[in-house]
Amino acid sequence: MTAGAHKGVWPDRATALAILAALVCAAPVFAVAWIALTGQSDDYLLHLARTRLPVYLIYSAYVGLVAAGGAALIGTGLGWLIARTEFPGRKLFSWVLILPLAVPAYVAAYAWLDLSQAGGPLHSWTGGLFPTVRGGWGSGLMFALVLYPYIFLLARDAFTGQSADAYNAARTLGAGPLSAFWRTSLPMARPALAAGVALVMMESLADYGTVSYLGAPTLSIGLIRAWSGAGSLVDAARLSLILVAIALVVFSLERMQRRRARTTAASGKHKPAPRLELTGWKAGLATLACLTPLALGLIIPLTRLAWLALNELPATGLVAATFHSLTLASISAVCAAILGMATAYALRGGRVMATVSARAAGLGYAVPGAVAAVGVIAILSGTQGLIDPAWQSLTGEVFPILLTGGAAALIFAYLSRFAAAAIGPSEAALGRVTPALDGAARTLGAGSRERLWRVHWPLIAAGVSSAGLLVFVEVLKELPATMILRPFNYDTLAIIAHNYAADERLGEAALPSLLIPLVALIPMIFVARYLSRTRTPSGTG
Amino acid sequence: MSQTQTVLSVRGAQRRYVKKGQAALASADLDLHAGRITALLGPSGSGKSTLLRAIAGLERLDGGEIRLGDTVWSGHGAHIPPETRRVGMVFQDYALFPHLDALSNVAFGLKGKDAKDIAQAQLEAAELGHKAKAFPHELSGGEQQRVALARALAPSPAVVLLDEPFSGLDRRLRHELRDRTVQTLKAAGATAMIVTHDAEEAMAVADELALMDAGRVIQTGTPDEVWMRPVSAVAARLLGDVEIIESTVETGRADTPFGAVDAHGFDEGETVHALIRPQAFGLSLAEDGTFTITRRRSAGTHLVFEFAPAEGGDTHWHAHTASPSPLHEGDRVSVSLDPAYLSVVRR
Repeated sequence: MTAGAHKGVWPDRATALAILAALVCAAPVFAVAWIALTGQSDDYLLHLARTRLPVYLIYSAYVGLVAAGGAALIGTGLGWLIARTEFPGRKLFSWVLILPLAVPAYVAAYAWLDLSQAGGPLHSWTGGLFPTVRGGWGSGLMFALVLYPYIFLLARDAFTGQSADAYNAARTLGAGPLSAFWRTSLPMARPALAAGVALVMMESLADYGTVSYLGAPTLSIGLIRAWSGAGSLVDAARLSLILVAIALVVFSLERMQRRRARTTAASGKHKPAPRLELTGWKAGLATLACLTPLALGLIIPLTRLAWLALNELPATGLVAATFHSLTLASISAVCAAILGMATAYALRGGRVMATVSARAAGLGYAVPGAVAAVGVIAILSGTQGLIDPAWQSLTGEVFPILLTGGAAALIFAYLSRFAAAAIGPSEAALGRVTPALDGAARTLGAGSRERLWRVHWPLIAAGVSSAGLLVFVEVLKELPATMILRPFNYDTLAIIAHNYAADERLGEAALPSLLIPLVALIPMIFVARYLSRTRTPSGTG
Repeated sequence: MSQTQTVLSVRGAQRRYVKKGQAALASADLDLHAGRITALLGPSGSGKSTLLRAIAGLERLDGGEIRLGDTVWSGHGAHIPPETRRVGMVFQDYALFPHLDALSNVAFGLKGKDAKDIAQAQLEAAELGHKAKAFPHELSGGEQQRVALARALAPSPAVVLLDEPFSGLDRRLRHELRDRTVQTLKAAGATAMIVTHDAEEAMAVADELALMDAGRVIQTGTPDEVWMRPVSAVAARLLGDVEIIESTVETGRADTPFGAVDAHGFDEGETVHALIRPQAFGLSLAEDGTFTITRRRSAGTHLVFEFAPAEGGDTHWHAHTASPSPLHEGDRVSVSLDPAYLSVVRR
């Protein structure tokens, strides 16, 4: 029925675009795998395996676990509070709590290290008692503070959707309030929480800026060193493959949880749970619980950076860098929104090719930015190798070097990583356009173009826009892929911030660092409000 | 009911909704007796679910009390939490834990090493032993209901509460499960309360019937007593079709269009309601009858006649008679009343 009902609404063009999206997203991964498995290597990796690799692996696990644990604690707690209780300010917090996503973890790290290191205000005010935020736990903490919204969103919706009766049944069977939460509400929300935890782990594994600044040598540091230090594409690809393998393990664990999602759907009719009214000191405590992560993840770091920025000369090249960041983020956002929407339409058509494409595109999301960059380089240099001899024999001239193709290569890598993030929300938005609506519009004489414009677009516009804006924010924050792929002298805000911070010139890093979350906050507010009005799709991968 | 032991008593229970300010429970009184099934019948919004939830401890009382024997469960400022009340509850949507299999669901309220064994035995008794490892979504609606009942009974609760337990099932299954549920409750010797809005269902399961309206229990008794002798027009209507005729008492009798009926015990000149079940009417063909049959239709087990005064007018009444019947639309009839299906109450 689905295939027939939607025929005529650009079905074939949609499938073609979905296949394109899948190619863009998946090609770099396959290129990486190809290079890693066939390439000639000096013994760098062997040397690495004997020396640094165990450290990289241990730190990756350490950082990933601290990040996931911290974010799960904050996100689940706040999700429950927003979903199941009522207190003054709850409605506002339900979307404001998403905003720390606008802060890149490395920006939070710059601010917190500056605040807490010897000589910093927190250090001197507490007489050195406040621990310096650095190393594996410091990095994990930074990730927890800015990535918890992923878990918060999923937890909030999971708790909102739960039938109150399951909890009440547990109470009548002898379980106290805490025990009933622990034995029924929490396990019922587990698939959603697992999806959020997997996202947080992946984001922290993919990070480069935070871990390099705070001194936690994870795999992505090894990867960047292999590429920029040793200049070995093959070794970088092999390290990438290890990262991808870890990503696949994390996501298949999440899938196993999700497969049980059916078992956690409420049985029988659904009755929404009444919210627990919090008053007096309990309401105060709830407000405090919401304000704490906001302060730690958003307000304190941005205030500190603003303070630093006001006391220093502005960094040079800031205007150009801001322009570059905005350009890259906007183009990627629009492309991702188009690919995401096309894939959603193709999925609706129910064609096998479309489903395969959508899943292949989803693969890209599991791939850290540095890996995507390495894959793009592999593809470009492979293409160069194919074209060069032919071009030379035809024209007698040297073919221009593709790698300096500039921003296009960067956008390729960004899309590879983030386009999948646009598919899930678009699919969810399109779910609101039921076959009955299409049918109604048809009987009222609307053709396919008219239906698309008068029925579909008004219903999906907010969803598709918020998917695009999410990609905008992600690209704005992105660091490792940009570092690897950017054309010479093509700086973005993230690059400038990172370079100054790495040189211990935090004063100059402050303003670009501050600009990223400030620019990101505007689209983020739109996304956060949209996500609070509608329920999120359960995960995107 | 004085010869049976009262297990749980509700006195003057009051509950107001915070938002709307209106009373869900105005002042409800109810007794549950040992080993007996009480059906609480009322229209939606009458407060029956609120009363059930208050007994379970899921709602607090604003006034009145609920006690189990000598223990106050609710009232006088006290509120024992649901987990220490020893109530077993079957929810309307069963509320099976979706992340636990049938056995673990039944074992949820049990403690100790033999919890799983007791749960398994409980499932066997429900003839669901082979479904122990099945998850709720793998069970049919009827099986889910049986697991929910087994789960409620497993910890041997003092009182079992069932909230519209058959509403989610289709008609044929509903009858089967109703009988089964009664058998199971009887076998367990449980003191039970079943909330329903279906009069036929209430009378089929109940040892004792309690009628609820506007936040009060307006009548209790055996299904027979309540059906035959409703205390008010509202009570009579809850249990089925009834003709209500307003009249004034004169010399111990109340006049109706079908002749005067006995009304002793009422004051002279008092306004009363004569409550006449459709079964009370005897219709017989009569040339000089004062009524005319205006409609005849079959209801399967019986015939329904609509009849009106022969001289015309807006009023008409309904009679149920055994089929077959020689009467047809347009026939002139005379009407008699069977006092067994008739009662007189204060207005």
